[in-house]
Amino acid sequence: MMKYLDHLEEAIITFLIGAATIVIAVAVAHRYMSGMPIPGLQDWLLTINMSWAQELCIYMFVWMAKFGAAYGVRSGIHVGVDVLVTRLPDSWRMTCVTLAIAGGALFTGLIGTLGAMFVWENGMHYAVLNKLGMELGELYEGPITPDLEWPTWIIYSAIPLGSYLMCFRFMQVGVGFLRTGELPHHDHTHVEGVEEVPVMDATEALEEFEQHKFDKDKDGGAK
Amino acid sequence: MSTTVAGWEQFSKKKAGTYLACIAVALGAIAMLGSTGIVFALLLALMLTGMPISIALGLTVLSFLFFFADVPTEAVAMKLFTGIEKFEIMAIPFFILAGNFLTHGGVARRMINFATSMVGHWHGGLALAGVMACALFAAVSGSSPATVVAIGSVMLPAMVKAGFPKRFGAGVITTSGSLGILIPPSIPMVIYCVATNSSVGAMFMGGVVPGLMLATLLGVVSWWIAKKKGYPRMPKATWAERGKALRESIWGLLLIVIVLGGIYSGLFTPTEAAAMSALYAFIIAVFVYRDVPFKRIPKVLLDSASMSAMLLYIITNAVLFSFLMTHEQIPQMMADWIIGNNLGVVSFLLVTNVLLLLAGNVMEPSSIILILAPILFPVAMQLGIDPIHFGVLITVNMEVGMCHPPVGLNLYVASGITKMGISELTVAVMPWLMAMIGFMLLVTYVPAISLWLPRLLGY
Repeated sequence: MMKYLDHLEEAIITFLIGAATIVIAVAVAHRYMSGMPIPGLQDWLLTINMSWAQELCIYMFVWMAKFGAAYGVRSGIHVGVDVLVTRLPDSWRMTCVTLAIAGGALFTGLIGTLGAMFVWENGMHYAVLNKLGMELGELYEGPITPDLEWPTWIIYSAIPLGSYLMCFRFMQVGVGFLRTGELPHHDHTHVEGVEEVPVMDATEALEEFEQHKFDKDKDGGAK
Repeated sequence: MSTTVAGWEQFSKKKAGTYLACIAVALGAIAMLGSTGIVFALLLALMLTGMPISIALGLTVLSFLFFFADVPTEAVAMKLFTGIEKFEIMAIPFFILAGNFLTHGGVARRMINFATSMVGHWHGGLALAGVMACALFAAVSGSSPATVVAIGSVMLPAMVKAGFPKRFGAGVITTSGSLGILIPPSIPMVIYCVATNSSVGAMFMGGVVPGLMLATLLGVVSWWIAKKKGYPRMPKATWAERGKALRESIWGLLLIVIVLGGIYSGLFTPTEAAAMSALYAFIIAVFVYRDVPFKRIPKVLLDSASMSAMLLYIITNAVLFSFLMTHEQIPQMMADWIIGNNLGVVSFLLVTNVLLLLAGNVMEPSSIILILAPILFPVAMQLGIDPIHFGVLITVNMEVGMCHPPVGLNLYVASGITKMGISELTVAVMPWLMAMIGFMLLVTYVPAISLWLPRLLGY
């Protein structure tokens, strides 16, 4: 069950960033192609309206940001100030990190709830009642987006969904930390494709050089 | 979230207790300054627990609104969405994606070959080639630590094999790697523009001249030391070899042409240019260089997405924070105070330098810019400082901050590659670091360096 959630999360954000790139590329290509006087093609292109691309891209990235932030908690990508914490004695460090994680869970939980209330009042309530065929009373239909004309509450539901997921991830990380004392850690300096010249070679070369430099030149320069 | 970095000694309980007590007193003193003081004391306290900066910012704003102000909390949830609902911000994920496709050992090696063939025969040849390769790689990568790793792990062993002392090599690469955030496309620059509503195109153009100057300066320092100490030179490459090396690396280098050329000629908006460079980087990495096999593409996308999401999350919360700052009129108060005391531009810029360098000790560039730029920028505007000049000087400050002890990120990365201790490495980077600090002051007080090219191009 957990695995499916993990995969779903990863699939969503991978898809969103890829799709957003393609959408913008197509929109730019469309803009320039329809400026070219190619008979037939130009007329056809002019009938297509691409003005929604920018808006769609923004919404895709907002969704990506909210779910990616949750994924980031799991993979430990969120950066913090660790100058002090890492130098504290172990038992104090435990307390500090637990506090930090609890703060994360609290904040995302609060934002999730605020967001959910906002989404509910901005059209979801209406939409749900309308779908169920119930009395609508004083409720009004929520606003829609300017270009795509989608109801905004669907777009904005990224906030409660993403934040609750993030809150859940913080709790997961917290439980893991209390059990094993380990945090997920993201290596910000990893570069693909440099493994072919492993770091060990450098060290070995250094050691070898270090040995040789004494029997040659004190200045350290083999000329 | 905190992680243990190798090489940091742990305090004993007594020492830690003293430190914590000092911090508590300092924070208490700040909190006495009134509601503004409480905001900053709370923010610092939360950050010191090691929680993500984004969360610390958000929690500060929430608790302040809850206890002190009468802004409806629902507006906060709304702001979390509208905070990043700008098309300009979307350049960030695209540039990260482009950088991730090309931040690859293969691309780094091609650039090193090209740089070595061009400048390898001068004094300190490989070191100069290292500086040049870092500058070239910076133009495609946009991340400082990644540049140090990509260039350093190829270049450092080569330099040591050729007979350079490893201190020298480590010093060159650690400092040159920081060129990444000054030479466009640069993510901290986009973030500055987002935080201050400046023009991304102008900012990129503004970074070109200082970037080239700093690269030259670092090269000159290496050349001078190498000449004095008589470090080895490479055999001079023939023009045929140079042509071949250029042909191999040209595909990566064209990226910067697409970005700057596209924005300048008006073909693309900055965000479209970023999307185009992402697409271009994808084609080059997958079909031309074939560094990235098909099955790795989802991984590159996922990594870029989570990196962007992290930054966008800080941005949303920083937007909240700067909303709070404006609501409390803090920048206005600062500006009035500075103008009222006749402190003037020079001392304001000096304070900015010191503040940014201090912040550089504990945070990475994007977070510093997001937190400090909205506070300092209105003051700078009142003093008549050009937004582009201010942005470039912030970026150069961030560069210096990445290389200076005790907590420069580049130092840690280089220490990982060379297996040198931080204190030894600190000594090693000194000559270049001094040159960088001199350059930082030059950029700070000579606006023409950053403004000449943007002005010339009509921004």
